[in-house]
Amino acid sequence: MVGKNYEERFEGLADKIFKNAKADELEVRISHNDSALTRYANSKIHQNIARNNFNLAIRAVFGKKIGSATTNALDEDAALNCLTRAENIARNQRKDPDFKSLPDVKGLKDKKDIYIDKTADHSPDQKAEKVKEIIEMANEKGVDRVYGAFKTESSGLFVANSHGVEGFSRLTSSNITTCAIADWDNDQGFGWGEMCSADVSDIDHLHVAKTAVEKGLNNLDPKKIKPGEYDVILEPLAAKDILIYLDMMGFSAKSVQEERSFMNGKFGDKIMDERINIYDDVSDADMIGFPFDYEGVPKQRVDIIKEGVANKVVYDSYTAGREKDKESTGHALAMPNPMGPLAMNLLMDTGDYPLEDMIQETEKGILVTRFNYCNPVHPVKGILTGLTRDGTWLVENGELKHPLKNLRFTQNLIDAFNNIESIGKERKLYSMGYWPAYFVSPALKISDFRFTGTTEF
Amino acid sequence: MHIGANMRDLVVFGIERLEKENVAYGDVRLCERKSEVINVKNGAVEAIKSSESRGYGIRIFDEGMGFASSADMSKKGMKETIKRALKIAKASSKVSVKVDLEEIDIHEDKYTTPYKIDPFEVGLEEKLDYLMDVDERMDIDERIKVRQCNFKAWKTFKEFASTEGARIEQDLIMTGGGLGVNVSDGKDTQKRSYPNSFGGDYNSKGFEFFKSFDLIEYAEKTAKEGVDLLDAKQCPKGKKDLILDTNQLILQVHESCGHPTELDRALGTEASYAGTSFLTPDKLGELRYGSDIVNIVSDATAEGGLGTFGYDDEGVKAKKVDLVKDGMFVGYQASREGAAKIGVEPSGNMRADGWQNLPLVRMTNINLEPGDWSRDEIIEETQDGILLNGIKSWSIDDKRLNFQFGTEVGYIVENGEVTELIKNPTYTGITPEFWSNCDAIAGEEDWKLHGVPNCGKGEPPQTMQVGHGCAPARFVDIRVGVGKW
Repeated sequence: MVGKNYEERFEGLADKIFKNAKADELEVRISHNDSALTRYANSKIHQNIARNNFNLAIRAVFGKKIGSATTNALDEDAALNCLTRAENIARNQRKDPDFKSLPDVKGLKDKKDIYIDKTADHSPDQKAEKVKEIIEMANEKGVDRVYGAFKTESSGLFVANSHGVEGFSRLTSSNITTCAIADWDNDQGFGWGEMCSADVSDIDHLHVAKTAVEKGLNNLDPKKIKPGEYDVILEPLAAKDILIYLDMMGFSAKSVQEERSFMNGKFGDKIMDERINIYDDVSDADMIGFPFDYEGVPKQRVDIIKEGVANKVVYDSYTAGREKDKESTGHALAMPNPMGPLAMNLLMDTGDYPLEDMIQETEKGILVTRFNYCNPVHPVKGILTGLTRDGTWLVENGELKHPLKNLRFTQNLIDAFNNIESIGKERKLYSMGYWPAYFVSPALKISDFRFTGTTEF
Repeated sequence: MHIGANMRDLVVFGIERLEKENVAYGDVRLCERKSEVINVKNGAVEAIKSSESRGYGIRIFDEGMGFASSADMSKKGMKETIKRALKIAKASSKVSVKVDLEEIDIHEDKYTTPYKIDPFEVGLEEKLDYLMDVDERMDIDERIKVRQCNFKAWKTFKEFASTEGARIEQDLIMTGGGLGVNVSDGKDTQKRSYPNSFGGDYNSKGFEFFKSFDLIEYAEKTAKEGVDLLDAKQCPKGKKDLILDTNQLILQVHESCGHPTELDRALGTEASYAGTSFLTPDKLGELRYGSDIVNIVSDATAEGGLGTFGYDDEGVKAKKVDLVKDGMFVGYQASREGAAKIGVEPSGNMRADGWQNLPLVRMTNINLEPGDWSRDEIIEETQDGILLNGIKSWSIDDKRLNFQFGTEVGYIVENGEVTELIKNPTYTGITPEFWSNCDAIAGEEDWKLHGVPNCGKGEPPQTMQVGHGCAPARFVDIRVGVGKW
């Protein structure tokens, strides 16, 4: 858990660092993360862990020369050594002509936490009990084995700089996954369920398991289908997998400034179906995230794709400083960061179609639960490849006809988002997993989605 | 920063506590890591960062398994962390079976990476001067939108002790970097890197390895080839003989042999995240993985490899293990737990990302052994092929069968000659079919040991530095030019 005295403790340490600093500008960022993860495989808990760590990051600036250093030791000696390293690097640095200054934004203290004590205090015993119930339920339904992970974490973030920026915020997150393998001996019957919430009390582990189990049992004896262009129905999780890559390939100011975004030269143009609205908004009721970024700038809502039009991208202070009359939108990652800013609280607007209606209105198409190992083939053209996973079905005449062996797609996402047939009326929150980023997506029905290969399973 | 006597005392204190608790097995792994990163982009320093991190992880196998890690270096912190790990192990026991660990030789030893020049002793000024010079040499054409070059080094100090009596201390060092350009003419965008993409190349050596790339020499050449790509022809579609240079072949080895021979995947324990493997235990010794010239090993003893060390993170001495021999699938990368399950020897592949994470089965150096051709001979003997170089895009299914990879550049090979540059090359295949179509592998003179610093696996996600050695190889009748361009 994030201790009740941590804000005071971090402020106290930051004060000592500021008092000893010689730099013209200084940023102190202190973070804490406490996480617990119970993994289960072959219907047994096989990995069960807890981690607790701090990180102190100092950015020192002399004129336009910047140096950064980090340590995970929070005693005064280690902190001052970290300061010395950051200042020494800055002194020996080259000038960065594009650097304007550290952010100068006040008022962070009014921002609220998304912190649920029950999540932070969730015990290994509680997780083990829920995993046990998942396994028992799967056994009763006739599924051979279940796999997955149940994670809870609490994080604290403190940012202060020499311009008077100062903020502290806490958040919690919980996430559960279940992968069912209905027929282990024949390596088939894969199904998936997943749920994410700031409040662990909202995690309905049996609903997640039921979803995975039902998909697994309906995914026996999958058949092969010829690659080609098909109507595709992406469940919210599969839509999220694609949304992540749109974000990575094009939604940051840095990717635009370096001319590697599919948004380049298209601002103000309609590049997607007019029903597509994609925006970053940490204040949305469905979202989890710190209210300010890693430079201490409050996160603004940014309407990235508005009614299909390429509208805006997200900025940190550095990328904002490189353009005339731009300000940070509050999307800095931990600096320095070669990636630049990133939309980490991305949402897509819903439409008016229940998933069932999407299926019912499909003459011939493919229903996808989720994707595996996606990767850009050509970021500027927006071309992505990846494979289906854990439940893919052929839809014919409005019904699921039979499960399909997994398929590879290679698709221009901009084309795909112009070929939207319908958008789901419900949307779900998902954790990215690798980074503390969250995505909210509805189901999507897309025509002429290009599958380029098949598998044997 | 170095593990001092008080840190060793803390490890001993931890082991004594675990012995008092009478756990069936316990280990304490204390690490300190420092790193330095320098990125130069378009004539300015994009980032210089010095990082330090230290802490320890406690791993227990009793009635259930438990792992807890902490950065609190006091004895009180150690006691609390052990208490947390015990509580977790007890919770696990509600839904688990007792774990058997394969027996191993117990070692008390020290290991240090051999190197010539400590990268942390080379002045920042010298590194910056060098990188700025490289950057300037890439500035040859206005269509080059991004020039970047970088240096990175890590130093890791580890102290491992177990309730079985192991006491192992290791000082490890890794160094590397590279350069690259992104080019655009307003209609198309391309990239080109050297000595490889995604940050360059890395090895367990000192600063001498970074200097051996000779970035100064290759800066202009690489930049020019990036610009040339803008006007290059699109990769043809269809079936071609495919020649992979080492800086792409390492990805092929990594994704289609490295990951599927991880025994934890084969036993299903990564099923919910990275996936499983088509190389299930019933296929061990039975499945033809590739043609009879294909030999692939896991070798943690390879000189300078990014996956080279003295001992893995459960105290198994570094070793070389056959994975594919004469084209047959013959071995796994196995932990003590996995080895006990299928009756093989632990392969010394258990590695953790820092002190805070649980060791997992990870690649060390997964190497394709050299053949008896030369790169030139392979080209001369190819009538209708393409030669690919430089990792750009990769994707593979969760059993590691269906893959699709893209490279930065390709070249048409016609009637034994390299004739033309092509862009956006992609190829796809099914792993055993692809390796069965391998009909030529170059020899030792063309063999290179590359490093991949960013292999992801596990929950929570861990990043590992792994090595891959190979020489250029040819694969016949492969589908290339996938997708709509």
